[in-house]
Amino acid sequence: MSALLQIKDLVTAYGKIEALKGVSLDVQEGSITCLLGPNGAGKTTLMMTVAGILKPKAGAIAFAGHEISEQQAHAIVAAGIALVPENRLMFPNMTVVENLQAGAYQRRDREIGADVDKLLVRFPRLKDRAEQNAGTLSGGEQQMLAVARALMSRPKLLLMDEPSLGLAPLVVEEIFRIITELHRDGTTIFLVEQNAHMALKVAGHFYLMEQGKVTFSGDPGSLAEDEVIKRAYLGSAKL
Amino acid sequence: MLADLLQNTLDGLAAGASYALIAVGFTLIFGVLRRANLSYGPAIMLGSYAAAFAFQNYGLGLIALAGICVFASVLAGAYVERLCFAPHRKGSAIAAMVASFALWMQLEEVAMLVMPKHLYAFPPLNQGGPLDFAGFTVRVEALVMLGAATAVCALVWWILYRTRFGLATRAVIESSRAAELSGISVPRVYIGVFALASAIGGLAGFLISASFEQVTPMLGMWSTLKGLLAMMLGGLGSLPGAVVGALALGLLEAHSQWYLGPQLRDLIAFLLLFVLLAIGPRWMTPSNG
Repeated sequence: MSALLQIKDLVTAYGKIEALKGVSLDVQEGSITCLLGPNGAGKTTLMMTVAGILKPKAGAIAFAGHEISEQQAHAIVAAGIALVPENRLMFPNMTVVENLQAGAYQRRDREIGADVDKLLVRFPRLKDRAEQNAGTLSGGEQQMLAVARALMSRPKLLLMDEPSLGLAPLVVEEIFRIITELHRDGTTIFLVEQNAHMALKVAGHFYLMEQGKVTFSGDPGSLAEDEVIKRAYLGSAKL
Repeated sequence: MLADLLQNTLDGLAAGASYALIAVGFTLIFGVLRRANLSYGPAIMLGSYAAAFAFQNYGLGLIALAGICVFASVLAGAYVERLCFAPHRKGSAIAAMVASFALWMQLEEVAMLVMPKHLYAFPPLNQGGPLDFAGFTVRVEALVMLGAATAVCALVWWILYRTRFGLATRAVIESSRAAELSGISVPRVYIGVFALASAIGGLAGFLISASFEQVTPMLGMWSTLKGLLAMMLGGLGSLPGAVVGALALGLLEAHSQWYLGPQLRDLIAFLLLFVLLAIGPRWMTPSNG
């Protein structure tokens, strides 16, 4: 396996406040890599920087060997990275199908319609609501739609920012079942999660981020797991 | 009595149709960029001035003049977009608005430097007199205006709901962040929307100038105010609302001119806006669509 995504010494700042203080990590091709950490550690900032929404102050982001940190968000989608954003960010007054079509905006091929149909089969709850506005969906359905919309760009790397946030346990299980299915189908997944127990069940590798820095990395099942989970929730300062 | 009421209603609808054309373009820009473009009217004025110039010096026909109006308005609109809105995409909405106010002054100066007379002739749409329907007078210009407004509304609906660009535009209106993450180039959508709105404005300017048979530098301020008023009456940022607001404004003006006199006509419109702003600010919250 080689690194599909390579982040080196990444610094992203909001004004003078640095949210990322030199982050380096790799996401191996074909892996599920998980990023854990307490609130305010900079996980969402990292996702937004990789997706091109935020511009880094320093450092490098290489995707499949190409530097992408200077590129616009839409070009990064075209390059093969899709982000399922925190809080889902639907187009609430557009139908489910229109949301999916918007996700394929960078594509020019003739298989977009077929992909919409395929995803509606994969997410049967969306199929029943295909012509409904996205704003009328439940939280779980919106999360499914956010994932499906990201998949419409046929990404090589899927970034997911807290996909289980605010969802009922059964829905969370469904989301994680989908994550393992996508992984099995060959999509590389880089996942930010608060739900460390679930995340470590599916992840092949994990990083722990605290106060804008990667402080620990390893494989699930190692002895350090309990300690990592504690720090992911509480932050090391409080231990 | 009843005949007056009906005649005024007809006149009001005709005026409302011209406001609707202006308001649709104005609202498109506001709905997508969330910024008021005060230079919208002056760009329209510049288009009509370019056509008046071509008419005077080369004696071009109506179709060519309409083309010049649209083309010059789009050009002026592109200039405004580059200077006022492109630098403030993620910055302050107020900064963009103030910048567009500065360009308003500039565009008026340009028009007055090149064509310094207070008034220039514009060829009429219709050489004959008004039509007569069972005692009611209807200007041919009014019918053309209503037809054009209907056609433009249908065209904008078709673009928004039936094309790829329309899908992207609606996505940006709903959430520009989500649109970016879906692979939509938001700046490109802004440019497209500006071009479309300016083209509609250019057409509106042509029809209005031809129906007044003259152009003055005041057309700029007039257009911006009518567009702004119609948009605010219809609820900020809603296209169907802007059309309804424009027709309501036209009707209000026609009736208040008849019953209260021409001096009070504009006062009534602004009074209504004041009342709406004072009693129902929630009416003005930006809506989608």
